[in-house]
Amino acid sequence: MKKIKTTAAAVCIAAMTMSMNILPVSAANDSLVIAIDADLDTLHPSDFSTTVEIDTLNQIYDTLMYMNPDGEHEPEARIAESYEVSEDGTQYTFHLRKDATFHDGTPITAADVKFSLELYQKSPYQGSQVTGLSTVETPDDYTVVCHLENAYSPFLLGVCSVHIASKAYYEASPEEFVSNPIGSGPYKYVGRNKGSNLTLEAYDDYYRGAPSIKEVTYEIIPDSSTKAIALQTGEVNFASIESSSMMQLQANPNIVIAEAPTSGFTYVSMNLEKEPFNDVKVRQAINYAIDRENLVAICFDGEAEVNSNICSKDRFGYSEDQFQYTYDPEKAKELLAEAGIETPYDLGEILVAEKYANIATVVQNDLKAVGLEAEIAVKEFNAYIDDLTSGNYSIAALNMTLEGDTQMLEMAFMTEYIGTANNARYSDEEMNTLFISATAETDAEKRAEIYNQIFQKAQNEAIYAVICNPLTLYAYNKDLSCPEFTLEGFYYIYDFQWQ
Amino acid sequence: MGKYAGKRLLYMIPVLLGVSFLVFTILSLTPGDPGSIILGITAKPEDIAALNAEFGYDQPFLIRFFNYIGDIIFHFDLGTSYQSRQPVIEDIMARFPNTLKLTIFSMSVSSIVGISLGIISAVRQYSTLDHICVVTALIFASIPGFWLGLMLMLIFSLKLRILPSYGAGTLKHFILPTLTVSMTSAAGLLRLTRSAMLETVRQEYIRTAKAKGASEKRIIWKHALRNALLPVITTLGTSFGASLGGAIIAETVFAMPGMGTLITTAIRQKDIPVVMGATLFLATLFSLIILIVDLLYAVIDPRIKAKYQSGGKRRD
Repeated sequence: MKKIKTTAAAVCIAAMTMSMNILPVSAANDSLVIAIDADLDTLHPSDFSTTVEIDTLNQIYDTLMYMNPDGEHEPEARIAESYEVSEDGTQYTFHLRKDATFHDGTPITAADVKFSLELYQKSPYQGSQVTGLSTVETPDDYTVVCHLENAYSPFLLGVCSVHIASKAYYEASPEEFVSNPIGSGPYKYVGRNKGSNLTLEAYDDYYRGAPSIKEVTYEIIPDSSTKAIALQTGEVNFASIESSSMMQLQANPNIVIAEAPTSGFTYVSMNLEKEPFNDVKVRQAINYAIDRENLVAICFDGEAEVNSNICSKDRFGYSEDQFQYTYDPEKAKELLAEAGIETPYDLGEILVAEKYANIATVVQNDLKAVGLEAEIAVKEFNAYIDDLTSGNYSIAALNMTLEGDTQMLEMAFMTEYIGTANNARYSDEEMNTLFISATAETDAEKRAEIYNQIFQKAQNEAIYAVICNPLTLYAYNKDLSCPEFTLEGFYYIYDFQWQ
Repeated sequence: MGKYAGKRLLYMIPVLLGVSFLVFTILSLTPGDPGSIILGITAKPEDIAALNAEFGYDQPFLIRFFNYIGDIIFHFDLGTSYQSRQPVIEDIMARFPNTLKLTIFSMSVSSIVGISLGIISAVRQYSTLDHICVVTALIFASIPGFWLGLMLMLIFSLKLRILPSYGAGTLKHFILPTLTVSMTSAAGLLRLTRSAMLETVRQEYIRTAKAKGASEKRIIWKHALRNALLPVITTLGTSFGASLGGAIIAETVFAMPGMGTLITTAIRQKDIPVVMGATLFLATLFSLIILIVDLLYAVIDPRIKAKYQSGGKRRD
């Protein structure tokens, strides 16, 4: 009996040591494992809708140019070497480089660019990227002219996000075009196991030079704790993480954490069609009543930038002239008294979906401190969105992303977006006109001034009670070098390198 | 017995129709439409409407239901996912093998551990071993699955570095999820087997067997166990069927693509074809398993076998 036990123990130990050798201690120097939260639903260059999809497609597909979404930088050449805008702002001409090829080796020509632009134009998913585009002309194989109906300044940033796909490949097989894409970017699609992972491989003939990292695997890990453990074991080299995993990962000397600013905003939306929120003083009072620092510490583990302005600080058009609300409960009480509100006053329900419930709880407490009582009503996400967009609520808390050009913020203010993203149901002729005039202005400085007016007005009227801009957090192996993450935190594996 | 099985197979048709109608109705009654869920809050209403029309979601509820059932019956087609626009059967087939493996592994481990410890516990009632088994079972039955999974991962993946923390690529990936699922269910089986055995041991035929001088081994294996196993097998069958629905917690914690996460994700996205396809697939399997369990009774219990025989004749 004793002998059996010893043998069993020996076998166990042998098995353990053997398996230790099988598990990689650290990844090979030319491959990278990235963890993502969810599987990709599609690999279509234009008909995608989620963050994981755009993050992956950005490696497979190249764009005409690269433009930092903060609007402060000149666009960098990619497939287009240079561009011109006509005087009146209705015509954008792109000159393509001649050495760019798709992954099957065929050259990228003006016909492919026209095809891709039209793909976006027709797309219910990403059509807004080419808003204003009327027709596309190709005078020769390497020139593309975009005609706009009217001058529309946000066009440039939008068109810079269009993935350039192969027209010939689409015509050969529209199914393969989606399921087995041939792209124009630095990485080739290799294959995927649904629900588990997706593999990319360096495209060595990429016109900017072969990428340094040769093989990329996206592993789908939905649980944030699991992701944090996989980062520590070295099974995963790079991942976007939740703020709740920060502490644990910061303690590990092999892991670096980087923060990327985003333009997404967490806010309290008030239904301006309902009392007492139709009174600007009440809205200002609510803006003063919220302790934003405290909320960021509780709900975001400190990983968000406090900002009462819907326009984030990195965005084009932001300025210090735009008023910032700070925590001032006394001022809030004064304003409420001026508005004729007798406290304690019953505000009704704060409408939230489960994932925003913690925000509502903090806000509820802050409002109570100034004499505004509210219950929290948690609804299933789709039911919540239904109520929010149809105006069947009085006050709500949520997080929204209107990324891209600053002009995208028109969705939160213009009358035509009541029923979609204008949750405050704000309707003001002057505001509508300002947003329209911003699109027609081709001079950057003047355009910034219009946005300055817009956000000053939005802040003075306290249309929303914006709380903060959450940060996107990335954790990665200390031997991996990644350039600084810019606004929205889009990343390009082409720029990554193992040291 | 063949006739009985055939009849039971026919009963499955109304059951499956009922299941599909019920699930389809509930899905249609929940708020939200696929178009606005996919395109999000910032989408234009006309884009949302166009997408819904493309999915046929603009049609009235009953028409959509009959179209769906018609496609299954006449074209053997479970439909196309709203989200991925790929055939639903592909989504199911990419995930079902993982779930099936995990189910078989964890059921094997839990029945071997649970039943054998349950028998020992019952036979040596009030011994130290019995006390240890009962207390351990109580602890494991009360531990939440996600916590157990994370603890196992912390120990075996992070500290010892001998097992992978996520994925489903190799057999090694299944060790931790199997442990997570089977610990809890083994605890339940242990308690069930123990109490069933204790009850049987007190029956008069056991006393008779003892009186006629049968060995203890024979009494336990031949007389007590066979009778005690009936409720255990019922539980095993239903829990086997239920776990084919996916061990959602183990799947999520260990990032293992399985049926559970497929269905929960699809419900959240209101991907009706995926939810329906997966539910029908599982309902069919579940019905088949329950049928097998019923037939197994006959193997274990001759009284039930006798009932299946034509005319209910008995060979005495």
